[in-house]
Amino acid sequence: MSLAVDLLIAAALIGLAVQVVVGGVLFRAIVLFIVFGLTMALAWARLAAPDLAMAEAAIGAGLTGALMLVAYRRLIEINPDKPARTERRRSVLALPVAILASALVAMIGLAAIGLEPAPGFAGRAVMDELDQTGLGNPITGVLLVFRNLDTLLEIAVLLAAFAAARAVTVPGASPLPLSNRSQSPLVGALLAIIVPMTVLVAAHLLRAGGHAPGGAFQAGAVLAASGVLLALTGKLVPSAETGLLLRLGLLAGLVGFSLVGLIVTGFGLPLLAMPGIWAIYAIETAMMLSIAVALLLLFTGSAGLRRGAD
Amino acid sequence: MSPREWLSLVLLIAGAGFYLAGTMGMLRFPDVFCRLHALTKADNLGLLLICSGLAVLAASWQTTALLGIIWLLGLIAASVSAHLIARHALREQQSTRSQSTNIR
Repeated sequence: MSLAVDLLIAAALIGLAVQVVVGGVLFRAIVLFIVFGLTMALAWARLAAPDLAMAEAAIGAGLTGALMLVAYRRLIEINPDKPARTERRRSVLALPVAILASALVAMIGLAAIGLEPAPGFAGRAVMDELDQTGLGNPITGVLLVFRNLDTLLEIAVLLAAFAAARAVTVPGASPLPLSNRSQSPLVGALLAIIVPMTVLVAAHLLRAGGHAPGGAFQAGAVLAASGVLLALTGKLVPSAETGLLLRLGLLAGLVGFSLVGLIVTGFGLPLLAMPGIWAIYAIETAMMLSIAVALLLLFTGSAGLRRGAD
Repeated sequence: MSPREWLSLVLLIAGAGFYLAGTMGMLRFPDVFCRLHALTKADNLGLLLICSGLAVLAASWQTTALLGIIWLLGLIAASVSAHLIARHALREQQSTRSQSTNIR
């Protein structure tokens, strides 16, 4: 029974992926890509990786999907006459490359199925050492204790991505007006329920990250999603200036993480060692804010945000 | 199977039936309004039946409360987005209509 479900998910993933690439209609491809992200999240959940499933659903399907839909609308605004069809000139190499890539993946998969983890396997070491960190969730343990230099660099990459997006945005071009000309009264009611809920969910995910699936990335993505909702409904308007609060938010993760990592060296601990569980939660909170602000600003494509007129 | 599992099974299958009917309606109905009409039934009742089926199976008050919140949030999001899509479609219709009368 569960094999049938797995096969169904695998078949759906391959079918959706082919449709996204081959389909000629751009809008259809975007919608199918979002469905692909959600199905991928199901696949991660089936593989007993709930952390990845949540990140995939929130970032892969949710935020990326919203970003693509906004880009699509922008395309229509720039060029309303031309129907949004991608050109169907397929390279002669497409099929051989696809077959070779599938064969490679199948070979790696077949080889991996029969593999026994080695005795010095990093995953085993993490599970053995996890008790010392005071954390219950091995994922958070890896992200913030065992391999936290990687996580620090990921936060730096997010900041670099924001700077790069700023660099390629044409200065002086008016930021995209995301909201509709007139608001339905229902939208305000929806926001009044959804936004506090998402803040609550983000706080829960952050707190749960220590002992259960969750953590800064998932919480940040959920917070960013509520920001996207506010931007789409005109409660937040893109602006050309990055305000002080947003700057602080952008830098909080990188600066907070680096500061804690440096200060502990003064107490005889190695660089980036975590002095305690409180430090892990403090850094996760700062990272959540940075992730949320960076993702939201990448979505609006603007330097900053200010409160909308209404 | 215990009576509880039977009840859960019936609820889940009924919910899946609503989803199937809603999906077929979305694919087969002629215009936006009919499609929304079909889709909101799946969202409202289908989700309620599936959440109730799962709640019966879980047999815990905490899980039931969470499923209730999930259903309510789905209900709110679905009704507002259906309203917005219908409003947009209506305006498009009106504007194309007024344009065609202007040309005549």
